[in-house]
Amino acid sequence: MNRNPILSSRTPMTSFQVGHGLAFLTVLLSLSVASIGQNQGEAQSPDPGSAIHVTEVLGFENAKHNATGELKLQYGVMQFQHDGSAAVQVSISSIQDIFVEEGDKQVGGTAMALGKTAAPYGGGRVVSLFAHKKYDFLTVEYLDNSGGFHGAIFQLKKGQGETFKKALVANGAHITPPIERTPTQNTLEVKDENR
Amino acid sequence: MKTGKKTSLAATKTTLGPPGFHGPNKHWGPLAAVILLLGALLLQVFVPTVLAESSTDGKSGGARPWSVQVDRVDPGDVSLDPSFGAAIYESLLEELTKTEQFRHVFRSGDRNANDVPGLLILKTTVKKYTPGSETRRAVTTVSGATKLNVRVQLATRDGQIVQEHVVDGDVRFIGGNLRATHNLAHNVAAALKKSSLSEQAAVLPEKETGNMSK
Repeated sequence: MNRNPILSSRTPMTSFQVGHGLAFLTVLLSLSVASIGQNQGEAQSPDPGSAIHVTEVLGFENAKHNATGELKLQYGVMQFQHDGSAAVQVSISSIQDIFVEEGDKQVGGTAMALGKTAAPYGGGRVVSLFAHKKYDFLTVEYLDNSGGFHGAIFQLKKGQGETFKKALVANGAHITPPIERTPTQNTLEVKDENR
Repeated sequence: MKTGKKTSLAATKTTLGPPGFHGPNKHWGPLAAVILLLGALLLQVFVPTVLAESSTDGKSGGARPWSVQVDRVDPGDVSLDPSFGAAIYESLLEELTKTEQFRHVFRSGDRNANDVPGLLILKTTVKKYTPGSETRRAVTTVSGATKLNVRVQLATRDGQIVQEHVVDGDVRFIGGNLRATHNLAHNVAAALKKSSLSEQAAVLPEKETGNMSK
C-alpha cells in the first residue's frame, strides 16, 4: 500500500534527470558538430602571397602565445599581424628551415572542456570522440639580427601548411633536405610504447 | 539622493555614537568591523613588502655571476617532431628568464654572448619521447599521454660540465601535446634553480679565466 506513492514520486524525478542529461549531451554534440562543420567549410588552400588566418602557438618574436592573426608574405618578409595590433615580421632570407606536421586537436576551447567535464554519464567522452579536428603545424626556424636562433610554430588549417611552405621556399627561404634515418633502438622503444 | 545621504549620516552617527547609548551588541558590531578593516589594511601594507623582500633574497641580491646560452635541442636517437624541438627550446628560454637565476639568457648563436664573462651553455638531449594524443586523453583519461625525458647539461665554454640533470615533462590529462614541452622546461628551470650554482660560481670563474687566457 505504501510502496506505490513512493515509486510514483521517484519515477518522474529520475526521468527528469535522464531527460536533463540527454538534453545537455544533445546540446554539446550539436555545438561540437557545428564548430567542426564551420571549420571544415572554411578550410581551403591559401593563395600564395595572400594572407591566411593562423594561430601563432609560440616562438615568433614579439608575438603573444596562441595569438590568432593573419600570416602573409610581402616584399621579402614573412609578416604576422595579430588582430588589431602592430605587425611582426622576419626576413625570409633569415629562415633556416621549415617543417610541416599534421596534428589533431580538440575543438571548443575552455568552454567546451568545462561542458564535457560537467556532462553526466560520461557523456563528455562521447563528445570528445567527435569534437576534434586536424590541423597543420608549421615550424619556421630563423635567425634574428644578432644571429640568435628562433623556432616559431604556427597552427594552420589542414592543407595550408605545405602550400605556405612552398610559397616561402619560392621567395628565398632555406630548407635542409630531409635526412634518411635508420631506425635505432630508442625509436623502436618509442614505437613499442605507443602500442 | 538626499534621503540616501540622510540615512548614511544616520548610520555613521549610530556607529560612532557614545557606547552607553546603545545595547552591547550594537556597540561591538561596528567596532569589530573597524578592527577587521584595520587588520585587512595592515595585511595589504605589510604582506607585499615582506614578499618583495623574500623574493629579492631569492635573487641573491643581484649576485648573479652566470649567464646562460641555450643550445638548440639535440633529438639524439629519438625521432622527435621538429615542432617539439622548437617548443622545448623556446619554452626553456622563457622559463629560465622567469626564474631570474641568470644575469642574461641568450639564444643559440647570439653574437652578444661572445664577450659575456661567466657564460654557461645549456645543452639539451632528448632521451625518450612518447607522442600522445589529446583526443585519446579526452576519451579514455588513462591513455594518450605525451611524455618527454631529456638530459640537460650546463657546461662552460671549454666544455667542462657544471651540472647535469635528467628531467621529465608529461601531459597526461588536460591540454594539447605541446604542453609537455612547457612542463618539461618548467621542470628544467626548477631543477637548475634548486641546485647550488652560486657555490660553484666562486670556484669556476678562476678556471674559466685561466682557460680563456691560454
